Amino acid sequence: MSISELYYNVDNGYLEGLVRGFKGGILRQTDYLNLIQCETLEDLKLHLQSTDYGTFLANEPSPLTVSVIDDKLKEKLVVEFQHVRNHAYEPLSTFLDFITYSYMIDNIILLITGTLHQRAISELIPKCHPLGSFEQMEAVNIAATPAELYNAILVDTPLAPFFQDCISEQDLDEMNIEIIRNTLYKAYLEGFYKFCQEMGGATADVMCPILAFEADRRAIIITINSFGTELTKDDRAKLYPRCGKLFPDGLAALARADDYDQVRAVSDYYAEYRLLFEGAGNNPGDKTLEDRFFEHEVELNVYAFMQQFHFGIFYAWVKLKEQECRNIVWIAECIAQGQRGKIDSYIQILE
Amino acid sequence: MSGKDRLPIFPSRMALTNMKSRLKGAQKGHSLLKKKADALTLRFRQVLAKIIETKVLMGEVMKEASFSLAEAKFACGDFNHIVVQNVTKASCKVKSRKENVAGVNLPVFEHYSDGTDSYELTGLSRGGQQIDKLKKNYGKAVELLVELASLQTSFVTLDEVIKITNRRVNAIEHVIIPRIENTLSYIITELDEREREEFYRLKKIQEKMKQLRAKAEKDKIARMAESEEAGSLLDDGEDDDLLFT
Repeated sequence: MSISELYYNVDNGYLEGLVRGFKGGILRQTDYLNLIQCETLEDLKLHLQSTDYGTFLANEPSPLTVSVIDDKLKEKLVVEFQHVRNHAYEPLSTFLDFITYSYMIDNIILLITGTLHQRAISELIPKCHPLGSFEQMEAVNIAATPAELYNAILVDTPLAPFFQDCISEQDLDEMNIEIIRNTLYKAYLEGFYKFCQEMGGATADVMCPILAFEADRRAIIITINSFGTELTKDDRAKLYPRCGKLFPDGLAALARADDYDQVRAVSDYYAEYRLLFEGAGNNPGDKTLEDRFFEHEVELNVYAFMQQFHFGIFYAWVKLKEQECRNIVWIAECIAQGQRGKIDSYIQILE
Repeated sequence: MSGKDRLPIFPSRMALTNMKSRLKGAQKGHSLLKKKADALTLRFRQVLAKIIETKVLMGEVMKEASFSLAEAKFACGDFNHIVVQNVTKASCKVKSRKENVAGVNLPVFEHYSDGTDSYELTGLSRGGQQIDKLKKNYGKAVELLVELASLQTSFVTLDEVIKITNRRVNAIEHVIIPRIENTLSYIITELDEREREEFYRLKKIQEKMKQLRAKAEKDKIARMAESEEAGSLLDDGEDDDLLFT
C-alpha cells in the first residue's frame, strides 16, 4: 500500500507543513556560533530568545541551571509532538506511535528496575520520559517480579509483541536489565522496519536506510562496549537487530570479533562505515566513533526533508530536535563548568 | 598567678629533700612534654601541607569528573535515573584504623571496593565508553575524598592534643616549677633562720656561763683573802662543763 502523492495532502498536508516549519526553526551554524560565545547561562537564554525557542525560559527563577534548560527543551518538543500526534490520521498515527515506542521501552525498563528494588511508584513516574507514557504506567508496582509484570500489565501495552518475540517468562527474571532493554529495542527496530517497508513508496525509501543505519550502529556499538564485560559472544549476537546492511554476514563476523580492530575490519567491507571509522579515534582532539555515528545519523535525517509526501520527515524532525537539545545542553554544561575547551564538540545539524 | 605562692608545708630537712625531688620530677616532665609537643607539631605541619595539596587536586579531579558526566549525558542520554534506581548496596566502602603518633590515636580511613561492578552493561547501546570514563573519574574522586577525610580528622585531633599539651607545658613552666622553687627557697630561708637563732641562743648561754664563772672566781679570791687558809683540794668549786670552754 503506497500513499499516492495525490491523496497525501488530504490527510497529512497540514501536519507536513507544520513539521517543515519546525524544521525551518532548527538552529543554524550562526546561532551555534553565538551560543558558544556566551559567558553565562543568562547570555545563553538571551540568545535563545531570538531563535525559534523564544521565551521558553522566561518564567524560570534565576539562577538558571543546566537541568532546568534541559527539562524545558524537552517539554517544548513534547508539546509540539503531542500536537502533531493528536491531529494525525491513520496510517500516520501508527507511524508516530512507533516513534514513541523507543521512549516507552526506556520508561518500562526504568519502572521494572524501580519496582524490583521496591521504590515507590510516585517517585518513578516523574522520571519517565513524557513521550513514552502509556496508560498502565501507574499499575506497574503491583507486580513483584518481571514475569508477573509482563503477565498482568505489559501484555496490554503496545509493546507486547516485542516482548513475545524474544523474551520468555524465565528470561525476564534472570536477565540483566540492560539485556532486556536491548532485546526489546532490537524487536522494536525490526518491527518498525517491517512497517515502513509495508508502507512502501517514498516512506520506505527514506525510512529504511535510516533504520538500517540505526540497526548497524547499535550492532557495532554493542560489540565494542561488550569487550571486557561479562556479556558472552552468543548473548551479544542475540542483541543485533537484523534489519541493517550488516545482516547476515557482517553480524556473524561481529559476533566473532574480539577487539576494536576486528570490528573495524568487519566495517571496512561496507563503504560508509569505513569512512566513519577512519575519522574516529581515541586520542584527544579526535572525534570519537559515537560522534561520527551521530553526524552520519544527522546527515541521513536532513536528507529525509528532500522528498515530499512521506512520513519520514516526522521521524527525522523528532531525531533532529533531540540532537539539537543535546547540543544546547552540552554547550550550556561547558559554559556552566567553565570548560570551554571542548565546547565546539556539538554535532552540527544545518548550515 | 604571682610568684609569691608556695606550697604550705612545715619547713624541715625532710621537706627540703622532698621538694628537691619534686622539682627534679617537674623538670623531667616538662622536657618530656616539650618533646611530645614538638613531635606533634611536626606531624601537624606535614598533615597541613598534605591537606592543601589534596584539596587543590580535589578541585581539579571534581571538575574533570563533572565534565565527563556532561560528556556521557551527551552521548547516552539520561541514564541518571536507571543508575539511581538500580542501587542495592554500596560497592565502595571505607574502613577505619587507628594510627599512633607520639601517643595520640589518629583515625585513618581506607577505601576498598566490595563486590563487582553491577553497572557494567549500562550504556551498552550508546555512550558505553563515556560511561566507563565517567566511572573511573568518579572512582578517583571518591578515593581522594576518603583520603581528604582522614587528613582532616587527623588535623582536628592533632590540633586539640597540641593545644592541651602546650597548655600543660606552659603550666609546668610558669606555675608548678616556680611554686616549687619558691617553696624550696622558703624552706631554706626558714632553716637558715632557725640555725641563726640556735647559734645566737648558744652564744648567749656561753656569755651567761662566763659571767657566772667570773663571779665565782671573784668570790673565791675574796674568801681566801679573809681566812688565809690554804684551800683544800676538796673545796675547789665544781668542774666546768667541758662543752662551754
